[in-house]
Order: sequence, then C-alpha cells, then structure tokens
Amino acid sequence: MSNHLNQNIMFKHLFKLIWNKKKQNFLLMSEILVSFLVIFAVFTLVVYYYHNYKKPMGLDYQQVWVINYSNSYQTKDADSLNLFYQTLVKIIKSMPQVKQVSFTFDNTPFTQNMNTGGITVNNKIIDGVNWYTIDDNYKNVLNMTLLDGRWFDKGDDATKDRPIVINSDLKEKLFGSARALGKTIADRDNKNKMRVIGVVQAIKIKGDYASTDIGMYQRIDTGSFRWLGKMLVKVTPDADAAFEGKLYKTIANYMKNSDIEIEHLSDKRTSINYFTLVPMIVLLIVACFLIINVALGLFGVLWYNINKRRGEIGLRRAVGATGKSVSSQLVNEAMILATLSLIVGSFFAIQFPLLNLFDLPASVYIIAIFLSVIFIYLLVLVCSLYPGRQAAAIYPAVALHEE
Amino acid sequence: MLKNYLKIAIAVLRRRKFFTFISLFGISFTLTILLVLTAFIDKVVGDNYPDRKRDRSLYVTRMEQDGKGNMNSGALSFYFLDHYTKALKTPVKIAISSRANGTSTYINNKKIAVNYKYINAAYWDILEYDFLEGKAFGKKEVDNAEKVAVISEDMKDEYFGDIPSVIGKYIEADNVKYRVIGVVKNVPVTSYLTYSDIYLPYTVSKSDYKNKDYGGSFTGILLAPSKADVQKMHDEYEQMVKRVPMANKMYDHIYSHADTYLAAYLDTGNENQSGVLLVISIISVFVFLFMLLPTLNLVNINITRIMERSSEIGVRKAFGASSRTLVYQFIVENIILTLLGGLIGLILSVIVIHFINSLNLIANLELSINFMVLLVGLLICLFFGLLSGVYPAWRMSKLNVVTALKAQ
Repeated sequence: MSNHLNQNIMFKHLFKLIWNKKKQNFLLMSEILVSFLVIFAVFTLVVYYYHNYKKPMGLDYQQVWVINYSNSYQTKDADSLNLFYQTLVKIIKSMPQVKQVSFTFDNTPFTQNMNTGGITVNNKIIDGVNWYTIDDNYKNVLNMTLLDGRWFDKGDDATKDRPIVINSDLKEKLFGSARALGKTIADRDNKNKMRVIGVVQAIKIKGDYASTDIGMYQRIDTGSFRWLGKMLVKVTPDADAAFEGKLYKTIANYMKNSDIEIEHLSDKRTSINYFTLVPMIVLLIVACFLIINVALGLFGVLWYNINKRRGEIGLRRAVGATGKSVSSQLVNEAMILATLSLIVGSFFAIQFPLLNLFDLPASVYIIAIFLSVIFIYLLVLVCSLYPGRQAAAIYPAVALHEE
Repeated sequence: MLKNYLKIAIAVLRRRKFFTFISLFGISFTLTILLVLTAFIDKVVGDNYPDRKRDRSLYVTRMEQDGKGNMNSGALSFYFLDHYTKALKTPVKIAISSRANGTSTYINNKKIAVNYKYINAAYWDILEYDFLEGKAFGKKEVDNAEKVAVISEDMKDEYFGDIPSVIGKYIEADNVKYRVIGVVKNVPVTSYLTYSDIYLPYTVSKSDYKNKDYGGSFTGILLAPSKADVQKMHDEYEQMVKRVPMANKMYDHIYSHADTYLAAYLDTGNENQSGVLLVISIISVFVFLFMLLPTLNLVNINITRIMERSSEIGVRKAFGASSRTLVYQFIVENIILTLLGGLIGLILSVIVIHFINSLNLIANLELSINFMVLLVGLLICLFFGLLSGVYPAWRMSKLNVVTALKAQ
C-alpha cells in the first residue's frame, strides 16, 4: 500500500517537473508525435504488404504467355468471325509446346488494366466489381482453384440466365458464409439476370503485394471477338525463345493486318512487383534516416538536460537517492513524455480504421499502431538510457561543489 | 560585422561537436533527399531533348467525347489531327505521332522487346533528335509509304550488336522488314511523348489511319512561328474544337486542348482535374511533411544550444546589445550552419545521384546536378535556416539578463 502511494507521489512529482519545463517539453513531444505518425505510416504499408504477401496467389503464372493482338480480322458476320478465331486456336494448339489457349479481355493478370462495373443483388447496388470476360479454358491456363460448383463449359451456350463464376472475395461480400451456388445476380440496372454456377479462389491479379479484389467471370459470347485483344497461352517448360519466334511468325502470318506482341506473365509479375517495392524501399530508407535524425536529436537534448540539472541531481544523491533511482527517474520522465505524445498520436491514428480511410482492413491499422507504439517506446528508452546512466554517475560532492 | 558572426558561429560549432554533428547530419540528409527529388523532377519534366522548341510548341494529347451515359477519353485519330488541326492558320508545322506500341522481334533465337511509333515527316522538323548516323525520312518517303525506319542507339546495339554502321541494313519488327536510314540518341521512357525504339512513317501502319473517328492513338505537337504566337495558337485550337461537328450521334460534347508541355505531360485523363495542380500539391505536401521532422529536431537542438550560451547572451545584453541585434546574430549563425550542412548535402547528393545512375533503374534517365538543382538547394537551405532559427532566436532575445548571468 505504502509502495503504491509512493509511486503515486513519484509520478505526480515527475509530472510537475515536466510541467515546469513545458515549453521545451512541448517541442520534444511534438517531435515524438510526428515521428510516431511517420512510423505509423511506414508500418501500415509494411503490414499491409505482408498481409497480402501471405495470401495465396490463386493462379499459376509460370510458362503462361500473353499474346496481344490488335486490328484483328473484321467482319459483320459473327459466324465467320468465330470461325476465324477457332481456326487460329487450332493452329496454335497444333504446336507441341502449347498446352492450353484462352481468350480474355484486356484485364489480364499483372497489368494496370481494369474493367469494373456495378451489380445488383437483392435490390442493393454494389459498385467496383471487377468483370473478367474470358473463355472456357481460362481457369486451366491459369490453374485457378475452384472452391464450389463448376467452371464454364460448352453446355452454357444455351442457358436462359447468363451463367457467371464469382470469386471468393465477392462471395464473402455478397453472401457471407451462405452458399452462393444457384443465387441470382443482376447487372447494375437490375435488368439482365445472371446465375452463379461456381466460386473460384480470388487471385492476386495485381501482383504479390496487392490485395485480391471482388471479381466475377463471364463467358465471352458470339461477337465478343470484335473487341477482344488478348490470348493467354500455357506452354510446356521446354518452350524457349526459338519456339516463341516460331509461334510469333505463325500468328503474324495468320493475322496479316495485326500488330502482335508476346509477353511472359512471369516477367509481368516481376515488373508489377517492382513498381510496388521500389517506392516502398525508398520510403523505408527515408524513414530510417528520419528516425536516426530524431534519435540523435532526442539523445542530445536529454543529455544536455542532465548536464544542466547536475545541481538538482547532486542534491537528490546527497539526501540518499541511489544512482539507480536517479537514472530511472530520468528514464521515467522521458517515458512519460513519450506516453503523452503517443496518446495524442494514437488518437489520430485510430481514426484511420474508424473512418475506414484508404479501404485497408482494420487489423492492418491496429497492428501498425501497436508496432509503432512499441517502436517509439524503444527509441525513447534507448535514447534516455545513456544520459540516465550518466546522471547516476554524478557524485553529490562534485555536483554540489560546482554550484 | 558579418565576419565577426562567422567567427562566433564557427567557435560555437566547434565547442559542442556532438550537437554540431546532429545539426549537420539532419540538414545535409534532408537536403540530399530534396536535391535528388529535384534532380529527378528536373530531368523528367525539364529535360528538353528532343523537343528543344518546347516554348514555341503546344501539345494535343487527348480528346474527350461526352454524351448521355457515354464518355470516351483518349488519344486522337490521325484523321482529326490531319484534317482539322492542319486547317489552323497559326501553327507553322504540325507533328503527328502515334503512342509507342509494343511488339516482339526475334533474332538469333533471342527475343527483343520493341516499341515503335508511327510519325509524319514534320515530326523530324519540330523535334530535334540528335542523329548519330544517317538521316530522317522526309515527305517523299512518307507519301510513297516506303518501309524505312529511324532507330534508337539502344535498339541498334541490341539488334545489330557492336558494328560501326547500320544504315541500309534491315530490321524486322512486327513481322515486317524495314530499311534503317538513321540512328538517333536515346530518349528516356519517362519522356513518353517522344520515346520509342523505332520510328516509322505513318503510311506503313497496318491500322486504318484514314478512319474518320475522332478517337485514336495519335497525338500532335503544334509549332507556333514565335513564342508570342503561342497564346493565339492555343485560342485558335479551342475555337476550332468548339466548331467541329460530332463524329458520332452518341456524343454531344467534345473537349480537347492544345496544352503546354507540362500540362500535357501531367494530363490526368479527366476533363475536371488538373494534373499540374494535383502533382504540385502532392509534392508540396510530401516536402512539407518530410521537412517537418528535421526542422522540429533542429529547433529543439537550437534551443538547447542557446540555453547553453545564456551567459554569453547575458553579458552581451548587459553591455547594451539590443534584442534585434541578438536575433539577427543568431539567425545569421544558423544560416551559416545550414549552408555548411547544404554543402555536405550537395556532396552527398552527387554521390547518391551517381549511385542511382549506376543502378540504371530507368533506362537512359541520367540524373545530374545542374544550375536549377543548385538554386533549389540554396533556397531550401535558407528557408530551413530561417524556419529553425527564428523561434529559438526569439526565445533567446527574451532571456532575462539577471537570470542569464546567474545561471552560470
């Protein structure tokens, strides 16, 4: 009980000391506060990237090539258009190194291209759903994971409600833990109905460090070939540049008026990851230097303060305070300053998950706040330990003699 | 007087080496980051190779067509630029070029990724590329749809290897063989309006450049006879866009502008959002936040140092120095300190820029310290020095003589 009381008095005393030097402490506190906010931003980003990185990719990008073509064969007649592309697929598939071929809209994995739209479920409009217009082979080319139901097949040609496959994130958002199979979804105007026939694992289509998105897949229909411009081709591991050249020639000779480009999904993954990582690394380096800067400053100020308070410390030692209690007093003072700043800082930081800013999961912010608080405490502790120890080494006789 | 301040400043700096180190570290590091940022911005938007006539040029990069529930925004068609823009009276020349398209080419079982651009003959007149060998194609070659190509230095090395001359040799791109007639100095990919590996006459394009839609994949550069006529050219283009008939019944509004290089470069693709404003505000917010911490730190250190010098200040005050003299002295001292830090920062930036260049993160983007960067550095130093010196100096001048002298 008396120990408790003692501590209470001790803290009151420390607060008084801090209050007496409020002007100088205010500056120190604002510096700690700004450092906390910087660290919070950095940790949020790091935690978010790590959070995404841990999730499964959901697709197999090795040995998948993207063929971009433009100015393709144009005709008003849908049948001859379809025949043209069916023949192309046959020609490509006849090559021994080719395993699968799939047509897709421009939003292929690891590009910046997006195609989003709204849907209506139970009279509620949901915007920002990624639409993927693809064909029956898409799942096999990318080796996607089917969680429930089935993927598209030839039998879907003649169904009344358009069949669609949704990904796990969209399923979670629309139906929670209930089964999605057989449920009806309408387009944004609530006119055309679509029936869910399958659920696939959401894929990280923007690279390893990006989050998965809510998405749905629809089959290409007759006439889609007018505006499609990309093919995905799964090849065998022995497909090399020589084969790629041959494939290129074959397609270019078949589609005389088309501009053709072949890219590798693995290269595209590297480059999209690079675009996420480089700013991140730059930010880390900058933050690192800022923190060193702050640490040195903090250290300097605390150290100087002790030198100035030699008299006070000497007196305390003279009336019986141990070296340890003197040093812990100084460390405690610094820690109280840090705590006050952290309370203000956390108040700002907590607004991010509360107001759902930037659409990141709340857990990312919470972990980031937690890590930043620990980091700042450690920083302040490290910066005050040495000055504290110096204070403990002050001899009362020497200090008081100077006075 | 100034000499005295300098002497005092140096004496103070040498007294507490640890504090001096902290201050200089903070200033020089902050300045390094800001200088590298400036060098980057300066290179990306300020480098005028190959468009050296930038101050006489306006850039047309986008057209937006609006209708009920329909919106189409993107580059323009060749037809629009050729038909409507050519009819303008002010521009002396109009360069038309497609964006750089990607394709692959295969040589000796090696894959080379190629970007190619379709251009008209006037493109070579407005944009002054440095030719390492050969020459550009002219109107005659374009009109005859000759399969000729001007390639970049990098393309030459990659496709042909290390040989002295490639003029007259054939390069294959997009399954067509082109005769090389010129090699130009590289343009970094960040200058996306003029970057390409291969430049081809638009008449050899496989796509239908005679298509009468307004949207397409081409951009234009309009050259005014003199700097003074740029505004007139801008107005004339705006007037013309207002008058053109709709290309399609779906739309009822057309927006397109002839902008300066910076505005065109930073175009957001949205009629209602200015890219220049957006980028400037993002950069200012970043710089402000970034400078906030080192400034706070410096203010903290400065205040600590003043307290240390309280006896000196007390003595000077007792002998009649006014508060203003003391404030002035302290700010000058602080500026000397920041300039010193600036010098170290400059040396550090040279090292960092050298390092970044050697990493070759963005091909052909050689950062350099130039006059502009130095000027910005100096301004930042002064700003920094004032910002971190004023408050401590004010605190110092408020110091009571008696307490100041007693403290020691």
